[in-house]
Amino acid sequence: MHRAAPRYRIRLEHVVMGAAVAALAVLVVLPIGSLILGSLLGEEGLGLGHYAEVLTGRLYVSALKNSLVLGAWTGLISLLIGVVLAFAVSRTDVPGKRLLQITASLSYLSPPFLTAIAFVYLFSPNAGLVNVFAREVLGLPWLHFNIFSMTGLVLVTVLHTFPYVYLLASSALQSVDASYEEAAQILGASKFRTALSITAPLVAPAILSGTLLAFVNAIALFGSQAIIGLPGRIVTLPTRIYALFDYPPEYGLASALSLVFVVITVVALYLQRAFLARRSFVTLAGKGARPQLMQLGAWRWALFSFGVLVFLVAIVAPYATLIAVSISKSWGLDFWKGLTLAHYKFILFDYNVTQRAILNSLMLATAAACLAVALGAVIGWIDLRTTLPGRRLIDYASLIPLGLPGIVVAVALIQFWLRMPIALYGTLAILLLAYVGRYIPLSVRAANASLRQVDPSLEESAQILGARWSTIMREVTLPLIRPGLFAGWLLVFVPVIQELSASILLFSSGSITLAVAVFNLYETGYVEPVAALAIINMIIIGCAILLANKLGGGGIAQRTTGQGAAA
Amino acid sequence: MAGISIKGLSKRFGTGETAFAALSELDLEIENNQFVTLLGPSGCGKTTTLRLIAGYLVPDAGTIHADERLLSAPGNVVPPEERGMGMVFQNYAVWPHKTVYENVVFGLKLRKVPAAAARRKVEEALALVNLTGLESRFPNELSGGQQQRVALARSLVVEPGILLLDEPLSNLDAKLRERMRSELKQLQRRTGITFVYVTHDQAEALALSDKVAVMHGGRLQQYGTPREVYERPANRIVADFMGLMNLLPGKVIAARNGTGSIALPGGLRLDVALPDGTAEGDAVEVVVRPENIRLRSGNGSLAQATISDRTFLGNLSEYYATLPTGEVLRVQTHPLQQFAPGESVAIDIDAAQCSVFRQEVESIS
Repeated sequence: MHRAAPRYRIRLEHVVMGAAVAALAVLVVLPIGSLILGSLLGEEGLGLGHYAEVLTGRLYVSALKNSLVLGAWTGLISLLIGVVLAFAVSRTDVPGKRLLQITASLSYLSPPFLTAIAFVYLFSPNAGLVNVFAREVLGLPWLHFNIFSMTGLVLVTVLHTFPYVYLLASSALQSVDASYEEAAQILGASKFRTALSITAPLVAPAILSGTLLAFVNAIALFGSQAIIGLPGRIVTLPTRIYALFDYPPEYGLASALSLVFVVITVVALYLQRAFLARRSFVTLAGKGARPQLMQLGAWRWALFSFGVLVFLVAIVAPYATLIAVSISKSWGLDFWKGLTLAHYKFILFDYNVTQRAILNSLMLATAAACLAVALGAVIGWIDLRTTLPGRRLIDYASLIPLGLPGIVVAVALIQFWLRMPIALYGTLAILLLAYVGRYIPLSVRAANASLRQVDPSLEESAQILGARWSTIMREVTLPLIRPGLFAGWLLVFVPVIQELSASILLFSSGSITLAVAVFNLYETGYVEPVAALAIINMIIIGCAILLANKLGGGGIAQRTTGQGAAA
Repeated sequence: MAGISIKGLSKRFGTGETAFAALSELDLEIENNQFVTLLGPSGCGKTTTLRLIAGYLVPDAGTIHADERLLSAPGNVVPPEERGMGMVFQNYAVWPHKTVYENVVFGLKLRKVPAAAARRKVEEALALVNLTGLESRFPNELSGGQQQRVALARSLVVEPGILLLDEPLSNLDAKLRERMRSELKQLQRRTGITFVYVTHDQAEALALSDKVAVMHGGRLQQYGTPREVYERPANRIVADFMGLMNLLPGKVIAARNGTGSIALPGGLRLDVALPDGTAEGDAVEVVVRPENIRLRSGNGSLAQATISDRTFLGNLSEYYATLPTGEVLRVQTHPLQQFAPGESVAIDIDAAQCSVFRQEVESIS
């Protein structure tokens, strides 16, 4: 006991931390490096040739333009719908608030490519049920909507992106201290004046920030842009990049175009962060009273009708369509004449491709969620609990994928692993890497947020009693952040089970996933089995949410929030 | 049980422009079985010192030994889990997901104490802090004071040689704080564990400690018994921090063999011990505690003052007495001794209880 401690010792925590940093390098940093290198590497060595081509070539410029048009319109309409619904729910006496909230969360959770497919079944120019009905039953051929258009694409995309505005706007509206508004009213400002000069400026940053998120997500969606855009000859950045992988693959051009894509996304996200940072004065407000709900009188029914309309278009129409298609013998005007479960039997028991896809997706989503959560916990821990030099850099590196559209992640991984001696391309492993890499920011944020709730003294008090790092983790830290980790797990699992943008470039027949199988079946014209598979996809997502709520919530969550974060 | 020897301990935080010295060249000898308090305002370096002793921080310079064993030196630190100390945190740090029993038994499990013996020890520890019967409660079912006792029991059950306490009472209400204060003192006497106690509350420090280390600006200002630091503060900072005081400018009118006479405003005159190197004619500052001034009605040979305000505090009365030269003295008297505002009083200062400091060119605080 009287000898001095050795100067340095390799301990378990160093190994774990080292492994996490290495994993981050392999998942994010090295692929991005390869992507940049690949974009510069032409036939005659390093140069900007690929960039020159993607910034001047007609095909690429029109893709860029289409993406921006899509993003702008989607952002704008998301803004309108999101703000109206958020205002209705947080500030008025509109009936049916629960329905509006559910509409927003379900729209957010619904895979956009499934919504796109459902709308194709309703509005494709020739076979779409609504169009056929108008033409053949009503005899009104002019009552016709072609989904394969920019309008159609914006419509379908908005149904997925308006919740970003809704969520940020409603949380801002709810966190504005009522006393700010009351102070204006007591000085004689009318309700309208107060809303305009006090409330609106306070929540504007949050709303703008939500709109930019809607923009960024809208332009990154490969599925809907392929399903609706391509038949309408509207090529966007993701579908153009996808086309560059047709034989012979143009890796250099794909990389350059990907990086152009990344620049747009990063600029938008930078603005979004800047706006959100200005929001801080809203949340600083004390625990003032909840704002008074506005009495709308008869107008509340107008607002309610609008909410119901969104619910019908965003939730009822796509789900009802998919369910109807999945149980009809053949989709058409008289689909209800021969209902059947044969398509479910087909995809679940008879067709080995869909069986494999379901199994693969379940395994991949489980593994990716577990890995991402483990990695997120370690990275969050390094950031908050160590004095490691460069820990901020590690944290930033883990956030990089936020700026990467799914298809770009795939291009980067292909660029990296094609240069490596290990043949990962086309395996489940590369899909796993893509998923963990793409969603690591979500799990890092979740772990970070829950670690912040745990006062360091809770760990220090175990340490002074003689507990080593592994014991502290097992006995104190992990049990305390468990609810946060389950939330993080779910945050990764749900998007992975419906991931298409990256998978579409990375899969092979052996490693096909659920979303890819849906897409391929759709492309080959299996109308009814596609719908059945889509419903299975939704059921899996629903089960995952239920499961994580059950495991993560409950007694522990209440107990840990009780105290422990004092001082 | 163990003593702690700290030599030349320094710690800086931050880098570049924002760097500041949290602790500078601390020398401190804490003897075995003592109750030692690190006392000072926030930012004085007391908590940094405690965390250095615990091993959570690595010193930039200096060493910490416990009974001859080197614990800390720059780049060579025994990790906290191998120090065998106990620590009680300001926010209790009782694990919210474990019951009282599970909290307390944790350290024993780490030490592989057999289950039966562990159960007995936990019961003893809980009895020691008056928590018998609450074993199966969760922390959120306990009051703040009870949680603090759990934290204490958890630290005591492993019988550490040294127990570190970081403002353990500051989150408790005043009454409970006082009760826990006497319980802590008894615990220390009974167990013989060396207590290192951090607080910013000077009354707490005086009541509890064998020795008080008064800190300010990352430096040790004085280390001594409670009586020493209160009655013989080493400098103005200590005098100021240890209680109420009147600070009077004075002039040395006679000095010989370390004692001399000082003239104060309003014709007051004190015969006191002088700081080293003070010569006749030097300007000095005299610290007079309010309880060391006596007031008497009417005129006399003593200096005169006028009562300008009074406050009744229950167990004593406080007066503000203005000297003819304008200085105001704060005086505390027995509540039965009463004066009216505007009344002229004679003032008598207990010279033996005053402290004299040489005039500081720049005040430190």
